Amino acid sequence: MTAADAAIAARRGRRATGELSPHALGVAMNLPTICLLLLVLAYPVAYAGYLSLHQVGIAQLRRGVFPWNNWANYTRLFEDPLFALALKNTIIFTLLVVVVEVILAIGIALLLNRASLWTSRLARLLILIPYGVPPITNGLIWSFMYSFQFGFLNRILFSLGLIDDPVNWAGNPDTALYAVAVAYIWRTLPFAVLIIHAALQGIPRELYEAATVDGANAWQRFRAITLPLLAPVIVVILVLRTSFAFAVFEEILAITQGGPGDATFVAAWYSYKLTFSPPNNIGMGAASAYVLAILVGLFAIAYVRLIYRRIG
Amino acid sequence: MDVRTHRLDIASRRDVMLGLAAAGAGALLRPGEAFAQATGPWAVAPNSKVDKLNFVVWTYGDIYARISKQFEADWGVKVESTISSFNDHPTKLATMFAGGEKIDVSQSSPFSFPNFVSQGMVEPLDGLAGAADYAKDYSGFTKEVAVVDGKLMGLPYFAAIWVWNYNEEMLQKAGIAKPFSTYEEFIEHCVKAKKDGHSRYPVLWVAGVGLEQLPGTWYALTWNRGGTFFDKQGNHQLGPGSVAREALKWWANTFEKGLDIADPESLKVQFTTSAKVFGAGKNLYRGPNHHYGLNVANDKAQSSIAGKVKVHGFPGDGRTIGVAHVYFLSSAHRDKEWAWKLLQYLGGKTKDGQYTQAVNLAKDAMLGSGYNSVMQSDAIKTGWAPWGDVDAILKMWEKATYIGTVVPSLYQPWHFPWTDQLNIEVQKCLTGQITADQCCDNLIKGIADAKRKT
Repeated sequence: MTAADAAIAARRGRRATGELSPHALGVAMNLPTICLLLLVLAYPVAYAGYLSLHQVGIAQLRRGVFPWNNWANYTRLFEDPLFALALKNTIIFTLLVVVVEVILAIGIALLLNRASLWTSRLARLLILIPYGVPPITNGLIWSFMYSFQFGFLNRILFSLGLIDDPVNWAGNPDTALYAVAVAYIWRTLPFAVLIIHAALQGIPRELYEAATVDGANAWQRFRAITLPLLAPVIVVILVLRTSFAFAVFEEILAITQGGPGDATFVAAWYSYKLTFSPPNNIGMGAASAYVLAILVGLFAIAYVRLIYRRIG
Repeated sequence: MDVRTHRLDIASRRDVMLGLAAAGAGALLRPGEAFAQATGPWAVAPNSKVDKLNFVVWTYGDIYARISKQFEADWGVKVESTISSFNDHPTKLATMFAGGEKIDVSQSSPFSFPNFVSQGMVEPLDGLAGAADYAKDYSGFTKEVAVVDGKLMGLPYFAAIWVWNYNEEMLQKAGIAKPFSTYEEFIEHCVKAKKDGHSRYPVLWVAGVGLEQLPGTWYALTWNRGGTFFDKQGNHQLGPGSVAREALKWWANTFEKGLDIADPESLKVQFTTSAKVFGAGKNLYRGPNHHYGLNVANDKAQSSIAGKVKVHGFPGDGRTIGVAHVYFLSSAHRDKEWAWKLLQYLGGKTKDGQYTQAVNLAKDAMLGSGYNSVMQSDAIKTGWAPWGDVDAILKMWEKATYIGTVVPSLYQPWHFPWTDQLNIEVQKCLTGQITADQCCDNLIKGIADAKRKT
């Protein structure tokens, strides 16, 4: 019996028993997920795109009738200097957060990877705590920490003799964005640590042993073995962390509300204010969110290309 | 905007009959309860039936739980509430409205109200039983907010005026005989208190981002000096040499880049939080803001200087600003008659003919009322007495002008986005990033942009 004959026989057998082909079965199994994703993800995204091209306020949204607005929302967006500033602040924030997170995550994960130490086992548990804190709660905690006269941070630094006068961390335009970044990194760092730690455990120990026999020192082992093998994971972290950092909102809401002045006005805060504060320009808010999404997409593509080209 | 002050004289025959009945009952009232009437439209059940009602408000203690309970007990209809923070309220309400949810009653600051009205979220009250009678009792502030283009659009929530506070104990320790009577004296006191080590930051301003927090401080300082932000024709008054610009220069000079006498916490605090911070006893003066902060600053449970915080009026002729907030009937209501019934429990009379909520707000939270009869009643005198000098505050009240006179733009939908910019620019000015001149120039440019956004 040839292979073709066998396939025909198998198909006949499935027909006889009412069984689906592997391909049809695969489609059937994926269909619920696809439908769900279309409903909860693709539809809102497409609807936001539709809104961004229309004049939409609260009353129009309730009635469901929107006048066509062409590209006016996008034109006005790019004319608004506050949007440009919000994008600039977002990019600074994202670069800072992502770079610091990746470096810290690699360092912490390397320490955690030393399974022989009981402290690393304890640290693996403790490192998860910030990740369990809801973002808005995290913002409020750090808001109290940063309080000018009553905050723990100033109190600790003062007690240690590191400052003579309290520092207005979140209220000073020069430090506010960094203050928010620290709060954000504290919450999101465990994610990166866990991913890198998992990847580290997948690197064969023989590679390190062989390199040691060849006379490689710790730094050389890290550069020649650890880093290249971590690269795919780092790409994932860069893409995910960049996407999330671009959309930072809760810490801004809880700590600075975009201030002082416009020092921490980021893109997501801009979209929120535009959409949810009177006069509720929902169309323009959707347009600003789309611009943000396109930027995140471009960053993601750039990361993937850059890292894989280097690996190649 | 003169239509705003048109007298509301449209009343149905039913209103007249009920009004006469109420007047008859009112004649039998005991002294001191001039605003309580036993019978009237508020005591009549609507003919229709509803399973439940709801309101969307911002938080204030447990007043809404209490009034909901009373409504349910009186009428047997369940009341659901959606309560958010003051700053989040417009967002919450707008989202619910846009999402097609049922909303019977809500509330608004005067800053959001023009937007709510223009977006069709507010149902006029004209013609509803007893509405015209309520309007006759409105104070001037309330009329300015609740009557829009001659239509009655809301019932009063509360009224407040801007006053100063000072720490009496610190003032005495600093050897200062009495609080300032001029702005020059204010600066002298602050500089002295700082120099002598009584306070590192002698003044705590209310300069946190908000609709009337930071803006309100600037408005009050400007109005007291004789200035406004827009004239009656809508022309801005922010140009070089304007009172508003000079007031901002003076104000900014109290911050770090100037005299460094202003508490940096000023840039974060809202009304209540500023009272709590002031209650820590580290500042000599608390900048002008709503009078009812005294009920926090003089509350032993919340303040280490309770009883030592005194109210103080503005310098010069003492002119200050005032504001009124309103409850309104949502156009997304379930049943108009029942929604009106619920609205009255929040902003009018309960079944027993009492202004229950207004009186409770006066007693529990030191809030002023939008009804003349409540303001003149013992509810204010006895209710406010534990926290401050009632007579002094009421005298300041007489010198208060509605905030819309100082900033007529607040009747316009574009005032809200312009205020967003104002918060940003003024905070930049107070933190020394831009000068007061740049700030005002930017705000002048921003007027056109805000208009375009709406």
